[in-house]
Amino acid sequence: MPADPNMKILVVDDMSTMRRIVKNILKQLGFNNLEEAENGQEALTKLKADTYGFVVSDWNMPVMMGIDMLRAIRADEKLKKIPVLMVTAEAQKENLMEAVQAGVSNYVVKPFTAETMQDKINKIFK
Amino acid sequence: MAQPRVTPKAQEAVDEDDQEDKAPDTKLYEELGELARFIDTTMKTLSEFSAPVNASTQQLPQAQSHLLNLKAQTEQGTHRVMLEVEAIQDNHAQISKMLKDMAQTLQQAKASPALIQQMAALGQMLGQDDKRLLDIMTALSFQDLVAQSVNKLVTILDEVEHKLLQLVVVFGPYQKQTAKPDQSKASQMLKQLEATKNTSMDQDLADEILKQFGFN
Repeated sequence: MPADPNMKILVVDDMSTMRRIVKNILKQLGFNNLEEAENGQEALTKLKADTYGFVVSDWNMPVMMGIDMLRAIRADEKLKKIPVLMVTAEAQKENLMEAVQAGVSNYVVKPFTAETMQDKINKIFK
Repeated sequence: MAQPRVTPKAQEAVDEDDQEDKAPDTKLYEELGELARFIDTTMKTLSEFSAPVNASTQQLPQAQSHLLNLKAQTEQGTHRVMLEVEAIQDNHAQISKMLKDMAQTLQQAKASPALIQQMAALGQMLGQDDKRLLDIMTALSFQDLVAQSVNKLVTILDEVEHKLLQLVVVFGPYQKQTAKPDQSKASQMLKQLEATKNTSMDQDLADEILKQFGFN
């Protein structure tokens, strides 16, 4: 099923520049319903309060790391089916394994291109 | 009670043994004396280092401040560029819509096909520029990587400063300590910085690993 351009997407990153970049790319890809959170904890609060179709998250964040947020999402009956794309500079093999084991939907290594992002979204929603 | 008789030769042998027993002690005392002098010289040398080490320690917060300032400046600069890129993107979106409307109007008015083609070419050029703008936007993600490295360096400097202060206060280096693996936060950060140089992987390698887990 192709990605719904109207679905609500949550962009999670502690760096304001990265949130802006990811949101800009998603907007250029046709997604306009974009929300943001500064860390995993804030993201979980937003996810529980509303209906989201997709989460794009950083790995390294204060308060709650992206990987911990991912585990919390997968452990929550209401949220567990939301696709989560990790966008991170933590491109070491063990981190990738950890993300896969935690149930990541796909993984993008920084620095990335808009094409890579589109390709990953297409694969998640194919 | 009769004393045992000792021959002159046997007495000579006993005396030699005594000398052999004393010799290592003398050598040990000499070595200990030398060691004491060495420790004294070392302490004097360390005292001489105290002032420069103290001065360096005082400069470290300044270095941290410069690094944090660098991070803030790159962040501000990046947002400034983003603001301009977003403004151009918004303009392009409007121009693109206007071009489509104009092309439709020209078609309805049965205008020259060459003119309509020119309009289409303009739209294509606009699309190519939009792609470039998006590339500029993604290239700005360098700021995030810079910020992460700066954060790690600030943590390392903080720990180095703390250790230097300890050195200045207690002159710890000549105290005998058992070697423990360095589990400090600074050490971990240094390892992480090293790791990003040596073991980081690109998207292709990440995809290759993901494939092994059934991701297509």
